[in-house]
This record gives sequence, C-alpha cells and structure tokens, in this order.
Amino acid sequence: MNTSIDREKLTAYVLGELDAAERPVVEAALAADEALRALAEELRTAALWTQDVFAQEPSLSLEAEQRVRVQQQAERAATENVVPMQRKFWPVALKWAAAAMVVALPALVVYSQLAKPQSSGKEKGELLLAEGPKDKEVVMLAPPSANREKLEEAKPAVPQQAVTDQPALSPPVSAKAKAAKPEAAPATAAAPTPQSLYGISSAAPAPSMGEQETRLGVRADFYGQVEGAVRRSVAPQEGKPDAASQVQLESLGYIRGPQSPPPPNPYNDPSKNYWPGHNTEAYAPIVENPFLAVTQNPLSTFSIDVDTASYSNLRRFLEQGSVPPPDSVRIEELVNYFTYNYEPPKDKETPFAARVAIADCPWKTEHRLARIGIKGWEMPAQERPASNLVFLLDVSGSMQPENKLPLVKKSMQMLANKLDERDRVAIVVYASSSGMVLPSTPGDQKGAILEAIGRLEAGGSTQGSAGIKLAYETAVGNFIKGGVNRVILCTDGDFNVGVTNEGDLTRIIEGNAKSGVFLSVLGFGMGNLKDSMMEKLADKGNGNYAYIDTENEARKVLVDQMQGTLVTIAKDVKIQMEFNPALVSAYRLIGYENRMLRAEDFNDDKKDAGEIGAGHTVTALYEIVPAGQSVPTPAVDALKYQQTPVAAPVPPSTSGEMFTLKIRYKKPDGDVSTKLEFPIRDEGMKYAQADPDFKFAAAVAAFGMILRGSENKGNANLSAVQELAQEGRGNDPNDYRLEFIRLVAKAAALQPSPPPLPLPKLIE
Amino acid sequence: MNQNNLSQTAWVGEAMQRFEGPLLRYAASVCGDAELARDVVQDAFIKLCEADRTKIGERLAPWLYTVVRNRAINVRRKEARMAPLYEGQAEALANGQDGPGEVAQKKEAHRLVSGALRQLPGNQQEACRLKFQNGLTYREISEIMGVSLGTVSNLIAQALDAVRLELQAKNGLAQEG
Repeated sequence: MNTSIDREKLTAYVLGELDAAERPVVEAALAADEALRALAEELRTAALWTQDVFAQEPSLSLEAEQRVRVQQQAERAATENVVPMQRKFWPVALKWAAAAMVVALPALVVYSQLAKPQSSGKEKGELLLAEGPKDKEVVMLAPPSANREKLEEAKPAVPQQAVTDQPALSPPVSAKAKAAKPEAAPATAAAPTPQSLYGISSAAPAPSMGEQETRLGVRADFYGQVEGAVRRSVAPQEGKPDAASQVQLESLGYIRGPQSPPPPNPYNDPSKNYWPGHNTEAYAPIVENPFLAVTQNPLSTFSIDVDTASYSNLRRFLEQGSVPPPDSVRIEELVNYFTYNYEPPKDKETPFAARVAIADCPWKTEHRLARIGIKGWEMPAQERPASNLVFLLDVSGSMQPENKLPLVKKSMQMLANKLDERDRVAIVVYASSSGMVLPSTPGDQKGAILEAIGRLEAGGSTQGSAGIKLAYETAVGNFIKGGVNRVILCTDGDFNVGVTNEGDLTRIIEGNAKSGVFLSVLGFGMGNLKDSMMEKLADKGNGNYAYIDTENEARKVLVDQMQGTLVTIAKDVKIQMEFNPALVSAYRLIGYENRMLRAEDFNDDKKDAGEIGAGHTVTALYEIVPAGQSVPTPAVDALKYQQTPVAAPVPPSTSGEMFTLKIRYKKPDGDVSTKLEFPIRDEGMKYAQADPDFKFAAAVAAFGMILRGSENKGNANLSAVQELAQEGRGNDPNDYRLEFIRLVAKAAALQPSPPPLPLPKLIE
Repeated sequence: MNQNNLSQTAWVGEAMQRFEGPLLRYAASVCGDAELARDVVQDAFIKLCEADRTKIGERLAPWLYTVVRNRAINVRRKEARMAPLYEGQAEALANGQDGPGEVAQKKEAHRLVSGALRQLPGNQQEACRLKFQNGLTYREISEIMGVSLGTVSNLIAQALDAVRLELQAKNGLAQEG
C-alpha cells in the first residue's frame, strides 16, 4: 500500500474514530486509490464480522438476589444523602476549551513536523500521493487541469458529501441510517474547514480559528504525541460531535455519542423486571371483554385456546395460601382445564363437534348464558401416530429447585415409558451453552433415554435462543411425516436478556412454526415464572402451554393426555359468532381476552389461531343480554351524522335463531381452512335443567371473575360457586372437579392480600 | 439527557438495565468465570449507588467498565488469559431468511473470525471486545484500559488486520458484507 494513509488511520476511519478534520483526508485518499478502497472495504467487512461474532456470545445476567442487593443499596444511598443535581460539566468544559486554545498551537507544530516524515518516507511520488488527496477531493468535481491555488479557493464550497456518499466507500449501513444521512449532510457543509492543511501552520492564531485548532489538536493526540494537550482540547468537543459522522458511526453501532439517544439495546426489554421484589413473576395485564351491543358489534371473533396453565398456577397460589394476582387468572384457561363430556364427532373427517347449550346465567338471572362446547375427535389408542419429540430443557441455575428440573425429569421418565419403537425422542439443553444431551433416539431404547434423563443437572445461566434453534433443527431433521413432530420446551421461563430478548425468541419460534413442528411449552416452578412470555411463545409456535406443579399434573399433561396434548387434529381454529339483534341486545365473551380477533381475520387464512388436539374439549361462555333489556355498558352518545341502522328484515327461515356459530379450521398439514356453521336457537332452558358440565363450567367462570375482581360478576360469591360446582360435579373420575371445589374453599378462607408495592419506574 | 430528573435509584436502575449484560460479558472475559463476573458486576453497581452522579456525568460507560475491569483483574483466576470466545453458537446463525449456502458461509466466517480473535494477544482481544461488543469509542477504551489513545488505535488496527487476513485467506467470504 504505497500511500500516506496507514492502516491504523484507515482502521480508525472505518470504525468512525476519525474526527471531522481528518476524515476528508482519508476520504480523498480513498477516492484516489482503488487499492486503498479495497482495503477499507476488507477492514469494514472484518469489523462487521468481528462485531457479529461478539454479538453471538451467550449473554449473562445477574442473579435475582444480586439485583435486589444493588437496589437496596441504591435506596439506602438515595435516602442517606441527596445528591446535588446540577452538573458541573459545562463550566469545566469551558475551562478546557480555553486551555485548548492555548495548547493547540504547539500541538499543531508537533503535528506538522510529524506529518512530514511520515509522508515523505519514500520519494516524491509518495509525497505527492499524500498531497494528492487534497486535490483529488476537488478533482472529482473540477477539471483535472485546475491548479492548486484554484483548487484551494474552490475548496470551502465543495460539500464533503460528494466524497462521503460514494457508494463504494460507504459502509453497508442500514436503510435507516442511509435515510438519516442526507439530513446530517448540511451540518457538515455548514461547517466547512476554510483552511487547507497546508495553510494551517503559517496561519495567524486568529480567534476564528479556534475550532480548527482544536480539531488538529485532536489529531496530534491521536498519534499519542501530545497527549496532555489533546485530552484537554478534545473533551469539550465531544459534546458537539460532527453531525454527519455521528450518524454514520451510530449506524454502524460503533459509537454512542453523548448527545445521541442510546442505541436500541436488547437489554431494554420492558417485559423484564429489573427490580425484583419478593416476586418476579410477570403477567400481562388482562382487560376484560366488555358487553357489546349487537347493533354495533354483531360479530364476535376469537381464536380457541386449549391452554390450561392459568389453572394450575392458580392452584399453586391457593395451595400456598395466597390470592393469585388478578392478571394471572385467565378464565378460559380455568374453564378449559376440565374435561367435559361433550359428544365427540363420529369420524375423523369432521375433526370436531360443537355442542351448544343456553340457560339462565347463574350470576345474573335476567341474562342468558351460552356455552359453546367443542369436542375434538377421539383418536383410538392404536391409531396414535408415531411421535418425534424433542425435549428442550432449561438447565440454568434457576431450574435447580425440586419442583423444577427434578420434576421435569420425572415427567420425562413417565413419558419415556409410554413410547415405543415407532417414536423418537431427543433432548437438547440450554444454559450457558446449548447442547444435545440425547440425539434423536428410537422410543424403544429406554435404557439410553432414561440414562440421558438421569444425567441432567441444572447450572449456569440461560440463553434460550440457540437451544431453541438446535431443538427445531433436530425435530425437522427427524421429521415423521403424518406423525407428531413436536418440540417440548420445559422451563421456568426466566429467559435472560441479551440476544435472547423476547422479540427474537418469538420470531425464531414463529419462523419455525411453519416447518410443521409444533411447540409445547411446559412451565415449571415458581418465583420467577414468566407466564406471559411462555404463553406467547406457545401461541406463536402453534402450540400449547401448560403449567406443571406436581407429578399428578405432569401425568395429566404428558401421559393421560398424551394424545390430546401431542396429536394436533386441527389448527388455526377460529370461532365467529353472529348474533341476531332481534333476540339479543348485547353479549360478552367470558375470557379469551388475549385471543380476540378482528371480524375480518376469521376468513383470513394467513391469520394464525389456536390448535386443538385429539380428544380435547374447548369451552367458551357468552353472557347474553336478551333483546329488550338495556345494555349494561356505558352508553355512547347517539351518533349525530349516522343513520340509525335499520335491521334488515330477517328471512323467516332464520327467525328465532339467537346466533350462528361459525368455526373455521385447517387440517394439521393444510393451508386452506374449512368452515362449519351451526345456527342456534334458545330453547328457553332454565338453569336447573342444564347439564352438569354447563353448571360446572359456569361455576369455574364465576370463580375466575371473583378472583379477577370483575365488575361483571353479578351476585357471584365463593359459597355460591362452591354450590354450583358441587351440583355440576357429575362424573368426575380423576377427582379434578373435587379438587376445584376444595380450592374454592381455600380461597374463601384467605384474606385478600395487600396490593403489591409499587416498583421503581425505569425510564424508557 | 434527562438524567437530572432521575432519582439516584432510578439512575442506577437505568444503568443496570443498560449495562448489566454487557458488563457481565466483559467481566467474564477478564476474570474467566461467570460466577466471579456476577460478583464483580454486582459490586460495581453497588459502588455506583454511592457515587456522585454529577462527577460521573456523561462518562457513565467508561466509569462502569473501569470499575469492573479493575475488580475483575483482582479476582481473575491465575490460569485465565482472556477467556476464549464461546463456542457452539454457529447454529444460532441460521435465521429464517438465509438459504443453506448463506448459513454455511456465515458459519465459516464465524469460525475464521473467532479463530483469529482467539489467537490475538490479550490486550488486543480486550480492546476488540470493548470496541465491537460494547460499542465504546477509542477514547473510552483508552480510559478503561489505562493506555494512550494511540495504543488503543494500534491494538485495534492490528487485531482487525489479523481478522481481515484470516477472512482474506478464504477468498470469497471477505466479499460478503
């Protein structure tokens, strides 16, 4: 490389470490020298890869107790001495600026002396090259014959942008940065460097040159020659970095200027609670579905949800003697925890049957309660398809407690014992590093599987994304066509910060859902359960989410319901209700708040929705206000400019229908949905005549509303719930319903807990 | 910046939110142990609680990295050089948009680059980490490492050149941005 721009300077340029005064020199040299351009490009490439390699390192995070310790210290410090808020920075900076004026001159001399030997190292040719860039910058716009004097005159007018924007030289910046650049350009142009380098050393120290001197002082410092001088000269300047360079550098992620907002950082995840108090569990807030007037909202659309985690989580709270946080109570999950004896469809061509019942609403008798019961086709045991299961286990330190990894291991052992030679199972773990503990192994090699399970141990911190990728790759690599292909993620959900932020994870999972591999998320443990995140992951991964707190629950989810949980019989199942305004004035869907869809999503096959497994039941409850009763919702002013919609005359054939239930679903491997329609009439059934399943579901919903503190709970109270549930217990082979009745009694015995302490708010 | 409106507690909280992960990776690379790194970073934040915000001002990043570095060096394991770059991340490179060829190329580039970085002297590795992982400026790095700006410039230029040559050796890859 026969040029004055040495590699060190070029590197600094590429990394955005050169100041405004020096950049044009390099840029001009680049414009003139193709080899130098190539070198710059290589360095930039090397820089980007290096950045990428570092970015891939697993992230670490502090233990919860350590964060608490810091927080306590911060609070103590805050109360002990009030730190003065005014900044001393600017007065100091001014002093520095003044010093720089004085010191910069000797620095200039030093620099000009240094610069010469550097460039005149080899003969005239090289010296010319060193000077060349100055000319070159202009030559690009002016005829090559122009002499130097003219060029120097012309110089201030030359926008530096002419050089910086050359595509060949620009680093591969993001579109956003590119868009931002032109904006910054005028700033550069507005601050031209009136003196050429050649003029500086002879120039008088006029006050107007302050800026220039300071900049050159920086350069001297850059080569480490006059450090003391420079340090002072540079500090104030850092407060006002050149706008164009700032944008360029920030776009590369290399710098973080004091004036600029901090770069988007992966640690800034609002779902992360950085100040864990007694509890770091995270629940997304639930805003209950309100009553909607049929005239304004004749359609109600939602995705089915077969998750049950909220119930087992609630059970854990009550068993521990505490009231569950309202946002942890998802009523549809409580209701769907229980199996109802809806009649199954006759054959597998129609994967599910809808069983609708309407009776008096137990907590508000003037309303009607409609139960939509959906029952998935029951797969005979011998028809169970082969399973290709990949367990993805969180083995980070937080998984150590007895109710986490040890329970995971027990659950897996139970399942392993049920597998046979048609099945395959693999185990991937993730913690500090991710790895394969058991490559995909046939289900009849129980020894190998159980041995691998036995070896699992918790330790290290969590890095979920690499493990998730490996698990999906394994599942795809051993894909069984027509079989069950599923990644089963077992975690307490305490994914750490860093590259593993929630958005990244969701995207990975969403991307992989299209491969035909489904995801089950099994939540374990307590104390830092990230419920909201896990539900979201399962949702994005075409899967389900269950919370496992006991061996019994593990058996229910992984063994008894192995078919239902694991064999998907229909996916993207959406429900749309169309209410008849002649019979219904308003309605309210109970639960499913985070499953609501827009009316137009119903027919949009690209819109993802819930899955249903073999033998699963899904229940939805609507509280219906019959026509003629007032809508129990804050009235909206009558619209002034809209004509009141006049209900079109209803065809006689459909009169008397209270609503039409429409269901859309896709076959597990299909892309096109099928629609089923069920017109429903209200036969005027009294509550007492309703079947036990109806009563029990109503009791569970009422319990949920009480725990949520719902304003729609009517006259529901815990003893009424107990009574209703008792009436609805019916056939309860596994005593699941009995357990519910016990839990209601437990809840009744508890005092409501005080509201949680407010957490310090973090800005942004 | 609206730091003036923040309470000390919120200020520390914000600092943690921003720097906890990066400082831990840095500390772990200096002392060669994740557990020790956690202790070091916790201590640094505790020290921050007692610090005078007006003195730290905009220099929060170098301040934190300097404190972490000094402590991490004190506790570092004797055998620890700069901790090697983590392995096993190659599979994490695959993302939905890339074809198999691109993934393979990425993996290869990562293998080469991490190989080259591992060969570097400790101070070059450290400077690189501060620059490329933490996005600090040369000036901040010089403050943190306690060396002159020129030294930082030199360390990084040498390191980057080594990476460049490694990529160059496998031609074709180097052309990929």
